[in-house]
Amino acid sequence: MPLSVRYGQRLAKRLRVPLQILDIDRRGQGKAADRFVRDHGDASPDYLIPQVFLEWSDGQVEHLLTGFSEQVPRTARAWRDLLSSDWLRSVRGSERP
Amino acid sequence: MTSRGALPPALRAALTSPGGRCYRHCDRPIRTRRIESRLPGLWYVRACPSGVVSVTIYAEWTRRDPTRSVQHALRDWTVPPSRVRLRDLRLATRHGPELGRAAERLLATARGRRGVRVVYWRVYPFRARDKTERRLFVCFRRAHRSPVFFVSASKAKGPRCPVCTRGG
Repeated sequence: MPLSVRYGQRLAKRLRVPLQILDIDRRGQGKAADRFVRDHGDASPDYLIPQVFLEWSDGQVEHLLTGFSEQVPRTARAWRDLLSSDWLRSVRGSERP
Repeated sequence: MTSRGALPPALRAALTSPGGRCYRHCDRPIRTRRIESRLPGLWYVRACPSGVVSVTIYAEWTRRDPTRSVQHALRDWTVPPSRVRLRDLRLATRHGPELGRAAERLLATARGRRGVRVVYWRVYPFRARDKTERRLFVCFRRAHRSPVFFVSASKAKGPRCPVCTRGG
């Protein structure tokens, strides 16, 4: 299972929200992903993946994480830091997204 | 205090990423080398001992997208400058929670809730017209004040820097 799918599942579980995955290599999903990245993420002609977003119940979208281009273990470290962050603790302590 | 766009030590530490090996070239350890420019942020080049560049990174504490400035700086260092294409520059925003506790708290208290914008320049290996594989190399010799980026055959034993024109 890809690293960010695994950590994404963990994050979704902690937030008690569903996880939606958009695969850029699938035609229909790729266009939706492009739109998401263009509107809310780190847009570049050949943008970085993964990009992780949180959609709130009021429709607001928050960009959480973009993969590190240096090496995969660096992205894994970022996921671990995100999962143990003050931000996550505060979100879990407030209303559900 | 840090100048506008410069990264304080806590952010620098959070963004550095030592280690790694040269992927599909020599498998030797990657060295991370810092370079200077007129831009306020921090530059790193990650390259193997032969000079094959894995990725060049620029990080700035700012709201703006520094991609165009990065392209401009890289073009000054690259032979030919046209090798620095926008499609090879990729933007990433670092908000704080993904950077560890110290960086998260620093960014949370920062005026205007600025994030860190990072631009990566990664040139993937490609085939030339003669079908040989080419890669991006960097030369750090003292013969020139700035790094020199150039493309050469992947298997070249001594890729020739076009500025100092010495074999490696």
